Amino acid sequence: MSGPNEDDNGKLVKFVSFWLCIKQLSSQLFGNLLNSIIADVASECHRIAKLGLDRNLEEEEEELKLSAEARASVADVAAETNGKYVMDIFGQTHPPVANDVFDCMNCGRSVAAGRFAPHLEKCMGKGRKARKATRNSTAN
Amino acid sequence: MSSTINHLHHHHRIDGQISPLTSSCPHLADFRSRNGAKPFRALQDCLRVKPPGGRAGIRREPSEVPRCAACGDSSPSRLYACVACAAVFCHAPSGGPSHASAHAASMPLGGHEIAVDVDRAELFCCACRDQIYDRDFDAAVVLCQSAALKSAITVQSSGNPENMRKRRRVDYRPWSPDVRERLLMDNGSSVLDCEIDRPRGLRGLNNLGNTCFMNSVLQALLHTPPLRDYFLSDRHNRYYCQLKNAASGGGKRNGGNGGGDNSNGMIKGVKLCLACDVDAMFSAVFSGDRKPYSPAKFLYSWWQHASNLASYDQQDAHEFFISMLDGIHENVERDRGKPQSPGHGDCCIAHRVFSGILRSDVMCMACGFTSTTYDPCVDISLDLEPHQVTAHGKTSAKSHPSSNSEANGFSSTQIPTTSTLIGCLDRFTRPERLGSDQKFFCQQCQVSQESLKQMSIRKLPLVSCFHIKRFEHSHTRKMSRKVDRYLQFPFSLDMAPYLSSSILRSRFGNRVFSFEGDDGDDVAANEMSSEFELFAVVTHSGKLDAGHYVTYLRLSNQWYKCDDAWITRVNENVVRAAQGYMMFYVQKMLYYRASAQVCPS
Repeated sequence: MSGPNEDDNGKLVKFVSFWLCIKQLSSQLFGNLLNSIIADVASECHRIAKLGLDRNLEEEEEELKLSAEARASVADVAAETNGKYVMDIFGQTHPPVANDVFDCMNCGRSVAAGRFAPHLEKCMGKGRKARKATRNSTAN
Repeated sequence: MSSTINHLHHHHRIDGQISPLTSSCPHLADFRSRNGAKPFRALQDCLRVKPPGGRAGIRREPSEVPRCAACGDSSPSRLYACVACAAVFCHAPSGGPSHASAHAASMPLGGHEIAVDVDRAELFCCACRDQIYDRDFDAAVVLCQSAALKSAITVQSSGNPENMRKRRRVDYRPWSPDVRERLLMDNGSSVLDCEIDRPRGLRGLNNLGNTCFMNSVLQALLHTPPLRDYFLSDRHNRYYCQLKNAASGGGKRNGGNGGGDNSNGMIKGVKLCLACDVDAMFSAVFSGDRKPYSPAKFLYSWWQHASNLASYDQQDAHEFFISMLDGIHENVERDRGKPQSPGHGDCCIAHRVFSGILRSDVMCMACGFTSTTYDPCVDISLDLEPHQVTAHGKTSAKSHPSSNSEANGFSSTQIPTTSTLIGCLDRFTRPERLGSDQKFFCQQCQVSQESLKQMSIRKLPLVSCFHIKRFEHSHTRKMSRKVDRYLQFPFSLDMAPYLSSSILRSRFGNRVFSFEGDDGDDVAANEMSSEFELFAVVTHSGKLDAGHYVTYLRLSNQWYKCDDAWITRVNENVVRAAQGYMMFYVQKMLYYRASAQVCPS
């Protein structure tokens, strides 16, 4: 004999078992997809390793390690840039602005090495200031 | 799946050749001796490729859903079709139940051990329970995959396809001087003193006024082995060159445009030759004189060649490098009459040393049609990684117009990793999706489609210069931003993974096959010489417009810091920790180790 309550019970049982089934199936589906992806990667890596196409990761890791150690051991880089007052490996020291003198190959004047570039810029008529001057003078 | 990784591989690279491997599975050898390669070729009819450029699978009918003949299951991740009888069975890893192995064992006369993975088109030995490889099978798969794709080689910037022809190579013959030659050498030259701690050619360069950008590159080039050897062996004799120019009535204008005439010029009427000034510089720097040298004449000549860069402002070292190579090329090229293949460096020493060939493949994502272009290059400019992880572990995306949009996938728990040169090269050769705003016209589809672009190196140069894009220029040519992030770079570098042959091979699933990129002498040359050694690093410190360039040189395995006129010795750790802007690598076989003696640091 089935009354209204028993009908509802039946529906509830059907619903719950249906829902459990869905859960199980989706869990299985996810598992299959995951296994498939893992097998993909394993197969590709296996081929690369067997055919000798793999990169030498040990060497790369070694280089990374050396680099990390180097950065830890080296003093602040800012200290390195103050290199104008040291003695070089030949035992020489040099002034911050080079004071060798030679003749400009454009105009023949004597110029100090450290000031050669700004001199040449004007001498050759290059550079923004010089170009502006030329333009102004030739403008109509 | 059992697999043993052979650690000997990195000592003698096999490069996709499988002769040592067929011997590793006796069942495959047995199968082949019974049936030859016919069964593998017959499988071609069952190979289905998911377009475009997709993976190959095995299906008797295109719509077939493979099931295990023993248990009826279609869901296992690995289903194998027996090559002998075409029956399909499942297989579980790590010694689990395997209907495939059971099938092989059930055949009293054997011959059913070899099977093929229906989803991955990989051969499997059910007796050894391991994946195996066969050249003929791979060839069948590749042919099937490439039949699904069409391709075209568009040669845009590098001239005719004929330039890809084989070049005649000279066989290597060892040589030592005979008595007469030795006498000639002794009489005609002076012996270099071999002071290990004061190497020849190490000489400071005076800063002529904001010219450290030039000095830093010059130091690197003065110690670029093939370039140094060329000039020191008198291959460009400046006296002879000037005589020749004067004789040919060298009344050409002294280069440059605008900016007025050199009416005051003392050398008016003599043809400008940057290579002559470089020759003079080599002679001076290697003379043994240790007082810093002033490259004034060179600056003067260069400013005439590159008048748009001729100003007292601080310049970009990389820009100068390109300009200088161009200057050497221009002055030499005019004299040559024969046709040159771009990228092979027949034209001048600058290109002979630095020129390589890049390959660019653009594949239509709708039909798989691939368009290939070859372009010569004298260096490779690399972007730093576009992402940075902040202190809170959240990523902040920095947008680059050219960056790979695929990279926007970092999770917020990403551990900060160091940027590396290898990482930059990986990214440089990674397939990049050209977005919907960059559609490419596909010749096959006859419409613009979304495409996949991939770069690779067709031919390696003798010297590879890597330029790290640390400066972001705005369109007004004022430098707007500098990226100070540290980049790790190795002292030894193997470029093999970035060659076109490697990239192409990996695109086809690393099958054993002679790909299109495998022909020609370029590849033979590449395979002999993909190993490089670092010999110079140009670094930039400070801000954009108030910075300083310094070069580190490696001579006889000892590192020297070249800071304009000041040459000092430094520990290799200083170089490893430095902020590299341009890194110079030379092919290992050109890097002289014979005279290298390690100095106690």
